[in-house]
Amino acid sequence: MFDRDIWQEIYHSIRNNKLRTFLTGFSVGWGIFILVLLLASVKGMQNGFTLQFNDDATNSIFVRTGTTSLAYGGFEAGRRIQLTNDDIEYIKRSFPNDIEYISPRVYRNTSARYKSETGSYTVQAVYPDHQAIEKTIVNKGRFINTNDLINASKVAVIGRKVEEDLFKNEDAIGKFVEFNGLPFRVIGTFTDDGDDNAERNIYAPTSTYQRMYGQTDHINQIALTYNPNYDLTEALAFSERLENVFKRRFKVAPQDQAGIRIFNYAEVFEDISNFTGGLDIAVIIVGLLILLSGIVGIGNIMVFIIKERTKEIGVRKALGAEPWSIIKLVLFESVFITALSGFIGLGIATGLLAAIGPSIKTAAFANPSVSMSMVVTATVILVVAGVLAGLIPAMKASRVKPIVALSDK
Amino acid sequence: MIQIKDLHKSYKMGKNSLHVLKGINFNVEEGELVAIMGSSGSGKSTLLNILGMLDSSDSGAYILDNVPIKDLNETKAARYRNKFLGFVFQSFNLINYKSAAENVALPLYYQKVPRKERQEKALKYLEQVGLKEWAGHLPSELSGGQKQRVAIARALAAEPKVLLADEPTGALDSKTSYEVMDLIQKINDAGNTILIVTHEPDIADMCKRIVHLKDGVIIEDKKIEQVRAEQYV
Repeated sequence: MFDRDIWQEIYHSIRNNKLRTFLTGFSVGWGIFILVLLLASVKGMQNGFTLQFNDDATNSIFVRTGTTSLAYGGFEAGRRIQLTNDDIEYIKRSFPNDIEYISPRVYRNTSARYKSETGSYTVQAVYPDHQAIEKTIVNKGRFINTNDLINASKVAVIGRKVEEDLFKNEDAIGKFVEFNGLPFRVIGTFTDDGDDNAERNIYAPTSTYQRMYGQTDHINQIALTYNPNYDLTEALAFSERLENVFKRRFKVAPQDQAGIRIFNYAEVFEDISNFTGGLDIAVIIVGLLILLSGIVGIGNIMVFIIKERTKEIGVRKALGAEPWSIIKLVLFESVFITALSGFIGLGIATGLLAAIGPSIKTAAFANPSVSMSMVVTATVILVVAGVLAGLIPAMKASRVKPIVALSDK
Repeated sequence: MIQIKDLHKSYKMGKNSLHVLKGINFNVEEGELVAIMGSSGSGKSTLLNILGMLDSSDSGAYILDNVPIKDLNETKAARYRNKFLGFVFQSFNLINYKSAAENVALPLYYQKVPRKERQEKALKYLEQVGLKEWAGHLPSELSGGQKQRVAIARALAAEPKVLLADEPTGALDSKTSYEVMDLIQKINDAGNTILIVTHEPDIADMCKRIVHLKDGVIIEDKKIEQVRAEQYV
């Protein structure tokens, strides 16, 4: 099938019509180029979104409580739901395989003082696990550890901004800072990629704060990350289980969104992937339409080539060429031009992306790139396109009547 | 070699029907050199097209080398043409981007002869028409007479039963015409059956038999004393 003669024919045909072949090839190459760039852009947006949320672990879930809005289980509406340390243990016990990290959050506003400098901040009293959940980057000293928690030590990890404000040019590590008049030792400082506000936070052990303020075991919020191997569906299923269990535990109506709220990042991601998925489809349609104009162009050129070569086709038929061999000739040429120019477009697009893609990193757009499967799909599309473009002209060519073609008029 | 019985052919031209062949009967034996003569519109080209399976008849029988030629689809017609017939045209009809040798090898390609053998055969037939040293040249680099000789070599390459020539000297000056006729006579001497359509009496006189067509019927069919073209070359 792929004998040398076919290639020779294609070579001659292209050589005799260099400009024309280039122009049509260009339209297909351009179509593929745009299709790839568009798809890569969607991928870039996706990457950008992921990067945005990457500040917190993307597999995190937050459990918050409020007051019930519906009467349920013999209780009236308007009941306050209070989380306690027991709830943490309860989750750990109930979902041993689902939980990666878990930590309570106890919030306290505090006015902090070091020497003559003062400022007001929020203290989050947490477990050591919290570092992984919030992706806190400790740049000096250390984070809260289990010993701090057991001993209810008066230690604090302060944000970079807090250190800047209170300690000016001094190194805060090991120094004592007063929170609402009580001395805490600074054991570490942290930075946060997310924003400056996060660097105005202060972390302390949960037990310390619970002991300081009335010996309670109350907590404001539970932060946790689930098994990182979960995909979106599993993640959503898990947060739903968690919500059901908690609503039952606190006797909150299943449809009551005010009493207990489970916030799952996966839901946000689901929205985003729905959005970018929709965008993908739109882009594929636009790209294919652009490609279609290229295909029509090639079909057009092939019709022309055949008109020009009617006599030659007639001669071939008189010499014994079967219709299929004529169809083959036209189809191969069409597929060859389409595939070659498509690959050039594909190559330039992927080359461009490989060269400049990794250096693009803005808020909503990062590292636009194409996947292998996309390249393979594009290739298949190209070959199919080539066949489609050549089919009608080929049929036309095979129907050339040698007697008409050979008449000298 | 060729038996034709009561061949009819008409063309539809809008509402009118043009009856071109009105019952042709004739036979050609192996080794004959036949000239088909007639003015334009006499039906000689239509007859040749039917003989060449480029066109089909409306009624009548056509038997070629004991094979009845009927109900041909395109593929079958192509195979028969390739197997039985060699064509020589007035305007040569060489493929302009192929060298002389490649042109000669083309029918062999459609016979699915291996490439190497094709090349050898092409050279052999080019040698027979005296153009071996021109094998690598494109048609545009050849003179008219040389082009027609390449076309004859191409027609011979498939080793056909019958050679059909449609005004083979129509585009050539008289000296070159005689050279081509000399070649055709020699090929005929070697035993090949050849039919030539021509309207030039001197060319017809160089054949062994003249069939005269007028208004779709044979009005004269006579054996003649062949004039050798050699003496004019």
